[in-house]
Amino acid sequence: MSVLAPKFKLSEFIKSLFDNAFWALLLVSLVGLPLIQVVLFYIEMPVINGELLTPFLALTWLADPSRSLPIVKAFMATDMFRVMVFPGFGFAALLAAGTIFVERKMLAKLQLRVGPFYCGKIEGILQLAGDGLKLISKEIIIPAKADKPIFWAAPVIFVATAAAFVALIPVAPGGWVVADVDLGLLGVFAIIGFFPIITILSAWSANSKFPFIGGIRALFQMVSFEIPLILSLLGVVIVTGTLNLSEISASQSFFPWIVFLPVGAIVFFITMLAELERIPFDLPEAESEIVAGWLTEFSGMMYGLVQLGTYLKLYAFAALFVVLFLGGWNGPMIVPPFPEEILTEGIVLGPVTAKFPGLPLFDQAMLNGTLWFVIKTVGVIFFILLPRGVFPRIRIDMLLSLGWTKLIGLAFVNIFIALGLLYAGVLGPGGLQ
Amino acid sequence: MADAVFLALSVITIGSAIAALELRSLIYGSIALMGTLGGIAGFFFLLDSPFVALFQLAVYVGSIAVLILFTVMLVKRELIFKKVEDSRRKYAGLALMLVTMVALGAVFLDSGIKTITTDEPAVNFRDIGIDFVTYYWPALILMALILAGSVTGALVLAKREDVENDQRTS
Repeated sequence: MSVLAPKFKLSEFIKSLFDNAFWALLLVSLVGLPLIQVVLFYIEMPVINGELLTPFLALTWLADPSRSLPIVKAFMATDMFRVMVFPGFGFAALLAAGTIFVERKMLAKLQLRVGPFYCGKIEGILQLAGDGLKLISKEIIIPAKADKPIFWAAPVIFVATAAAFVALIPVAPGGWVVADVDLGLLGVFAIIGFFPIITILSAWSANSKFPFIGGIRALFQMVSFEIPLILSLLGVVIVTGTLNLSEISASQSFFPWIVFLPVGAIVFFITMLAELERIPFDLPEAESEIVAGWLTEFSGMMYGLVQLGTYLKLYAFAALFVVLFLGGWNGPMIVPPFPEEILTEGIVLGPVTAKFPGLPLFDQAMLNGTLWFVIKTVGVIFFILLPRGVFPRIRIDMLLSLGWTKLIGLAFVNIFIALGLLYAGVLGPGGLQ
Repeated sequence: MADAVFLALSVITIGSAIAALELRSLIYGSIALMGTLGGIAGFFFLLDSPFVALFQLAVYVGSIAVLILFTVMLVKRELIFKKVEDSRRKYAGLALMLVTMVALGAVFLDSGIKTITTDEPAVNFRDIGIDFVTYYWPALILMALILAGSVTGALVLAKREDVENDQRTS
């Protein structure tokens, strides 16, 4: 199969390249350069060290690491970096994207299928980029009788809420968290409460049968599993005495809480599966019964946004499990210290010596914490994905009775275990911690 | 800064409260009600009590508003509401509201709230917890008993025998 267009001619191609170059040069010389001159004329450039900062001088400085590294460091200390890159949206979206690919490939291997294979030659590694391009280029179709404002707003609000959840997760020691609030866990509860509203509103606004059935199911499921979810985390709050997620993470430097509160961890894991609508609790999207549940009417990038929000939520829940029960960023120091000779002598490449004053960009503890956090989170995500390849879907009455009777009871058992540990003096003041 | 935020929150809260009453669409009305409850949570944030604010969000916006949405969606509107367009009732309601608000405002202004100036730090939620287990312990135990009773009741109600029918052969 030919990859080229059927009427392809090399001469035409080269001519089009020259055409494009001609237009680019013409536009730059007629519009771009005068525009730069005008801007330079009106903007007063600062004088630094007795020198006027011309654009030429600024470019020279950017090539010098002793001048550019402090700029990078200053940028890394800003809130903007935390929100957009690490540990905020960029980091979470990267992990979420990896999750989508690994999920498809792993499920395929579990069920003796091939999975994504052709896109990107090697095991379909570019499938995700291809899917993203497809979603962006598809037309967004809105049902004729849909309630348009809510239908448009729902995916955006869904992603925003998931991102707010991500913002509360501490990733590494030394304040690597977007919002370090004293009441972080309460904030998590408040944010989780928004998901059912968005789901049911988007389902209602589509004005179609399958989304509405899916939305009602999602509402039932999320509201009934929120209660055991909140109750199962109270044990950790009781033994740590704080609601701040960073402090909870730091309090597990010797042992993770799953050692003492395994019942709470199990209840939280099951409720997490239900809140994330994963198999065996994927009744809201049951594709063999109600097409795609509350996502049925979404198309194009709106569906892409909902999918992004879903996987951000998955990352956030897995990270919350790690922070509360698996010790967060704590782990043995395995990252080597930054090599001293680069600081003192620079990098020698034959006759050239490059010095990098201002390194290292991250300290050793932060890198180690991030590494352990990512390893644990990926492990938890793996265990969230695994049931999808194995289990069937459960009935909705079984789901509700599981949530209202068994899990709430187990959550109370967990609370009593925590109180017992506290009053017996095993944990808390006078005990291990 | 705080004044501007306060004004914005007031506009959001009162505006969405009026919208919740006046909008014809019940769904949009309940969304506006969510705006009101969220605005009240914002007031609690402004008053340096994030604990109450987050509970306001989790309980009122997260649960009560969901219940209202759920009820609205499952009930046919025509069955419970008859459109009564009565302008006299409307004006009477407005007058009643004005009288109530003026009376409440007069009581507030008379209570000396204008002369209070304080720079004390915000109350920590740990202090509230300590107060609960020391001075206010009877109230705590009463609340715990009521909550335990209601949770047990909910469990009993939820745990019912399934109706056997012919279609499901188990």
